[in-house]
Amino acid sequence: MRREIGRREFFRTSAGAGLTLAWGRFLAVPAEAAAKAPVVGVGIGAEGEAALKAVRLLGGMRRFVPKGAKVALLPNVQSRHPGTFTHPEVLRAVVRMCKKAGAGEINALSWQTAKQWEDTGLKAVLDAEGAGLRIFERDESLFTPLAVPGGVALKEARPLAALAGHDVLINMPITKDHAGNKFTGALKNLMGLNSPASNRTFHRPDWQTDPEAIAHLDQSIVDLNKAVRPALNIVDATEFIVSNGPFGPGQLFRPRKVVAGTDRVAVDAYCASLWGLEPKDIVQIRKGAEQGLGRMDLDKVVIREEDA
Amino acid sequence: MRPKRRAAPALLAAVLLAFAGGAPAAWGPAGGPLRAYLPDARAVPGWAPDGGPQEFEGEDLFAYIDGGAEIYEEYGFRRVAVQDYKDGGGKSLSLEVFEMETPAAAFGMFTFKRSGRGRSLALGGGGEIESYYLNFWKGRFLVTLTGFDETPGTRAGLEAVAAAVETRIGDGGEAPRLAGLLPGRGLRTESVKYVRGRLGLANAYDLHAARGLDFAEAVKGDYEDGTALIVLAYASPQALASAWAELRGEIARGGWFERTDAEAVYRDGRGRFAAFAPGPEVLAVALGADAAAARRRAESAAAGTR
Repeated sequence: MRREIGRREFFRTSAGAGLTLAWGRFLAVPAEAAAKAPVVGVGIGAEGEAALKAVRLLGGMRRFVPKGAKVALLPNVQSRHPGTFTHPEVLRAVVRMCKKAGAGEINALSWQTAKQWEDTGLKAVLDAEGAGLRIFERDESLFTPLAVPGGVALKEARPLAALAGHDVLINMPITKDHAGNKFTGALKNLMGLNSPASNRTFHRPDWQTDPEAIAHLDQSIVDLNKAVRPALNIVDATEFIVSNGPFGPGQLFRPRKVVAGTDRVAVDAYCASLWGLEPKDIVQIRKGAEQGLGRMDLDKVVIREEDA
Repeated sequence: MRPKRRAAPALLAAVLLAFAGGAPAAWGPAGGPLRAYLPDARAVPGWAPDGGPQEFEGEDLFAYIDGGAEIYEEYGFRRVAVQDYKDGGGKSLSLEVFEMETPAAAFGMFTFKRSGRGRSLALGGGGEIESYYLNFWKGRFLVTLTGFDETPGTRAGLEAVAAAVETRIGDGGEAPRLAGLLPGRGLRTESVKYVRGRLGLANAYDLHAARGLDFAEAVKGDYEDGTALIVLAYASPQALASAWAELRGEIARGGWFERTDAEAVYRDGRGRFAAFAPGPEVLAVALGADAAAARRRAESAAAGTR
């Protein structure tokens, strides 16, 4: 225990300045919601084409990936059941867009198992497109403690340390049902980057699904998003489950859309609305908006939608 | 933190089960390997195991179903065996055999996972096949098969493998008594959800309450007239009285429910009327577009269960 505290103190004090520099580009901007109306790009059609269109509607990948940049990708590989993981063709399109923008290196980062990457077909796409897959053990020393600015439930996030070696993070969830808190999308997907031990604290001891426990879980998700900010969120909403989430199998809904944007709250609000959920009823979306991570009022979001 | 659950050695589990009398031999190898239920290469013409089986027990379920294991734990989970199958044309499907703690737990998980919109199957205690997946329950087992497309060939494979598993499980078990207490007239039987805790209830109908929901079991059903009925059973009349007082306090605080002119009838956040009627041992909650009809259904259900 004493040794662990010492290591944390090392990160927070002696190496603090360097840490801030290394992680600065991933830290959330508190006033994100105060900027001009956020733009959400919505591509419609087959998975790859829809992804391409969604990013084009935002001005193209070059706006987010500087030439020579090292890009970290975070697709969802939680389950191999249909409609529960990011579609491989969405991943393929994103890798190609990053390459075309001049990315120097592209890696998917994960602490999930190699089998999950193989079963979902996502590893095959990375291999075929020349992108890397970096899978890490669930060893706490491979995660970096990061103070959460304005953290309410979560004071310290623990993202994979390897993220600091990248210039850009692209968050690539699938939106879908979640039995616990009703919805999962861009905000929640960052748990795939955070250490499993830290994620466990999002659930209260002796978990009961009551409003207080869900509020704690969703507040922890919002706090995590205060510590880590993706440059871009590209959400697979082509086909996803609307029951028995997040693992499935469940009822499939097929809007054939890919939704992209820098404002995670706006992107999630749009995705929730796709299957009749009220963004204000999803605690993580509402809290994210209240705490300055973005906008959930879709009347104040510029939605650019175009068929692929 | 997740519920603490220690994986007991197989022998100890078998001894405990024998004392508890909860595992008739006809249900299969209690404490033995679940893979005994998995069809082998000769069992289903055209379909053969692809790779080896996997088994997860107790808390290991969280490693298999990351982010979705809580509902199984809430109903009462023991272990699961997973096996993939492949046909000659390269189609594949995944078989999961979940051993739950009781037949009621298996029935509950079945009602949780089915959509009620698929085709009913005469498998075990009940089954349903949907566009690309199939669920059935038998005894204390819940069986889920998932295809990776919706073609007739895959769906036929789901049914064939399911039938082979069903014969291996042996005798079944009864659905819980509470599930039979929903008035049958106009009930859409495929809509019935049997619930053992708050997570299941929140997915059937979210009462948006932190207190007053320490029920022992509950059941929800939808009716042809557009109403729905939830019956919550508590451990004792005292537990019900205490819970109802707490729940009523939560509701009165507002947020999700608004008061109406009628006693114990509220309007929920989606504009539906919710009528509450406590009986001696159950609390009935009826939902509908018409306040009077909801109230009649709730009061009738509370009275009918006396």
